[in-house]
Amino acid sequence: MAILASEFINWSALWKIVLAALIGGAGVVIVFGFLLYGVKIANNAKSGGGEWAGYALAGVCGLVCVAAIAVGLYAITNKPKSKPAKPAKSALVVPARTWS
Amino acid sequence: MGSELILILVVVAGFSFDFTNGFHDTANAMATSIATGALKPKVAVILSACLNFVGAFLSISVAATIAKGIVNPEVLTGGDGLVLVLAALIGAMTWNLITWYFTIPSSSSHALIGGVIGATIVATASSEVNWHNLVQTVIVPAILSPFIAGGVAALGTYCAYRLIRRLGQREARTGYRYGQIFSASLVSLAHGTNDAQKTMGVISLALIAHGDISATNFSVPFWVKLGCALSIALGTASGGWRIINTMGNRITNVESPQGFAAESSSAAVILASSYYGYPLSTTQVVSGGVLGAGLGKKVDSVHWNVIGQMLTAWIFTMPGAAVLGGAAWAIADIFGARANAGALVICLLAAAGAFGLWTLAQRNNIGPDDLDRTNVTPVEEAELAGVPPAVAAV
Repeated sequence: MAILASEFINWSALWKIVLAALIGGAGVVIVFGFLLYGVKIANNAKSGGGEWAGYALAGVCGLVCVAAIAVGLYAITNKPKSKPAKPAKSALVVPARTWS
Repeated sequence: MGSELILILVVVAGFSFDFTNGFHDTANAMATSIATGALKPKVAVILSACLNFVGAFLSISVAATIAKGIVNPEVLTGGDGLVLVLAALIGAMTWNLITWYFTIPSSSSHALIGGVIGATIVATASSEVNWHNLVQTVIVPAILSPFIAGGVAALGTYCAYRLIRRLGQREARTGYRYGQIFSASLVSLAHGTNDAQKTMGVISLALIAHGDISATNFSVPFWVKLGCALSIALGTASGGWRIINTMGNRITNVESPQGFAAESSSAAVILASSYYGYPLSTTQVVSGGVLGAGLGKKVDSVHWNVIGQMLTAWIFTMPGAAVLGGAAWAIADIFGARANAGALVICLLAAAGAFGLWTLAQRNNIGPDDLDRTNVTPVEEAELAGVPPAVAAV
């Protein structure tokens, strides 16, 4: 069963995707939540310090979200990175020898 | 070398398939934003269309070949290649229209792969299909990807609702709506890159089979890129409202934090997998994400009967499109494999079928106005959550 699974499942890609999904999916949702929380702190702050802290939290979280979008755009414009090794410009037609 | 007429038919069929791909998959990016009222339905589809158009030109990589490593490429670029590609496109397009009629989000890529496999098997032999690669690069990712996106979206949703207790409902609702627009836009962009390029690859195959471009020194002609980008954008802009309704309202009643969690998880999974060369279906990822977002808030908020219908459609997508693609080839073959008449006949049949389904769909049509939630107040939203959505009965 394990052999079968390793034959059909590309584990090295899979765990990277799960990790990326956790960071880019759940992670961004949480960071965005803290961004909103920071804005709320700033709006409700009674002192200048509290307002500053709120905006600082929102700003840092905002930067993380923007960075996540930037990483996403990078992934779109630079795919695919991995296999097949070097298909170069003739990738459309797989050479006969790789056909098995 | 094949005939000019068949090449023109292939290009038309390719653009038509891209159009169906567009309106079938608008839901992936925009359904949750529409359902939560983050965007007006028409604004959402136009934004998505623009991003799809841009996305089609974005990637610097060579257009991905559909079914690479699954069907022997020599079959597709050989003498019968033109009609074979035509039959495959017709099978895929017809399957897309059938699932659209039944309001089910299903994978356009799987339909295309199914169409190619079906036509290849009927035209040549099953030995030209690499079943091992099919399982490894298509079926296994198709099974795993909804679980990954769903699990992450469930986790994200759960955490978001924990935070919302500190935030307050109204701030959260409004705030996450803005976030949704960004995450949905990213999904649209990725969709344009991935899916428009699949059709570019198919049309380029036909051009190779016809002898217009060389297989060894290959580049996608600009008019093919432009045509595919325009077709997918127009398809997206026409708005597959039926499927948007299913994705946004019928799986679960999506609120803005859930919509944001579902879309950002889906975007992360889609982008990571295409970056690491792990092919998967946008539709299945987003459906998994929406389901996960529903589960992350409240387990019994998910309408399992709709999930059941979707799973059934997913299982049948590849075999269904394969049967249609195979049938299209078989009909064309009656007139001789490379004859113009056969190609014309299958195109006319496909057009008649498409018109028939479109006419049937008008009987219980869903329009953008039925889906507009931008003016829904929190009270109305709470009522909606308690009862099945008004537009659910299709």
